[in-house]
Amino acid sequence: MALGWAGLYGPMALGAIGSMIGCSLAGQAAAGALLETETGHGRYIGISAMPSSQSIYGIVVMFALNREVTPENAAGLAGIGLLCGLALMFSAIYQGRSCASAINVSKIRPEIFGMSLAPAAIVEGFAVFAFIFALVISAGVPA
Amino acid sequence: MADYYTLVTCLPWLPEQMEKCTQLPLSRIALNRRLTLLNAEDQQSLAIAEALYHPSVTKVQPDRERVQQWQKQIAELPSLVLQDLVTQRLEVQTLLAALRYRKRPNTSAEHFYGYGRLTEWIKSHWKEPLFGLETQIEPLEQWGELFNHEHTGDLQHQMDRYFWQQLLAVERSHHFTIETVVSFVLRWGIAERRLKSDADAALVDFQTLSDTLLHSSGIQQQLNSLFEDMNR
Repeated sequence: MALGWAGLYGPMALGAIGSMIGCSLAGQAAAGALLETETGHGRYIGISAMPSSQSIYGIVVMFALNREVTPENAAGLAGIGLLCGLALMFSAIYQGRSCASAINVSKIRPEIFGMSLAPAAIVEGFAVFAFIFALVISAGVPA
Repeated sequence: MADYYTLVTCLPWLPEQMEKCTQLPLSRIALNRRLTLLNAEDQQSLAIAEALYHPSVTKVQPDRERVQQWQKQIAELPSLVLQDLVTQRLEVQTLLAALRYRKRPNTSAEHFYGYGRLTEWIKSHWKEPLFGLETQIEPLEQWGELFNHEHTGDLQHQMDRYFWQQLLAVERSHHFTIETVVSFVLRWGIAERRLKSDADAALVDFQTLSDTLLHSSGIQQQLNSLFEDMNR
């Protein structure tokens, strides 16, 4: 039963933890870039907010799983919720690192700004996979 | 180990090719201000790495003492990558010292004292032109040629280029870590030394040129011809 509740709140909590770390890493890089550059500050701050999307996915999955926790559905909720939450957390952390690298290189060569964001976008893609399939599979968990 | 996201992104860019670095992107004061973002332990590591990589001759020390001091300081570096980086720099210095030492009259391998993995190898291959290290250190043949022709300026330039590329490789393979920061600062040190020596050389050239110009300036020539005319 406890694992069921953990699975229910897991996507939200783990996604938020990942977003905190990811945004913090990218934000630190953005802060450094502000010191070194004269223009383009807005986009550095914008990139540093990219890992926050995992929190939103976590909230949506939590609402999709939200139901009365019973011995029948606890295992299902735990499995989907915790695994989805872990996927969201790691994707947010690594997206934060990708964003920091993108900020670092685009500070030197602003013309590669768009291309440097590709790794962060790919990581986001995997977070979306985890999110979508958690929604799909949650339909099979008994209410 | 700490990550330095803010510090690494607030460091300016140094070119990939050393020759393209024609001016320092920031002063030492500005660099030091940024380096305050390092924690105390990493500041200490940076200071050790800089002292070993860019040594300043402050006091004359016997070789044995100096090598022991290097060993002690390198052991204090917490990162194996940094230890390796500094060791390689000191090994090249040992190699150069061996070449110089061998050139002196009445010297033998037994009395040579150096640092690092190459010392014993150098001693056992003392009679070979480049101690048989040509295959281990790629640009050594070129260095040896410059050394034999006493082109010390060119030799220094080639060695600086070699170290620059080594540091750049470390900087690229480590992101936002102390290794990235130390590699940058060491590259900055190479650039500073080169630009400073270039500036000194330029100053000497300028003085010579200006003296020459003053000696044969148009005004001087006009005055001379005027005096000649008056004397007639």
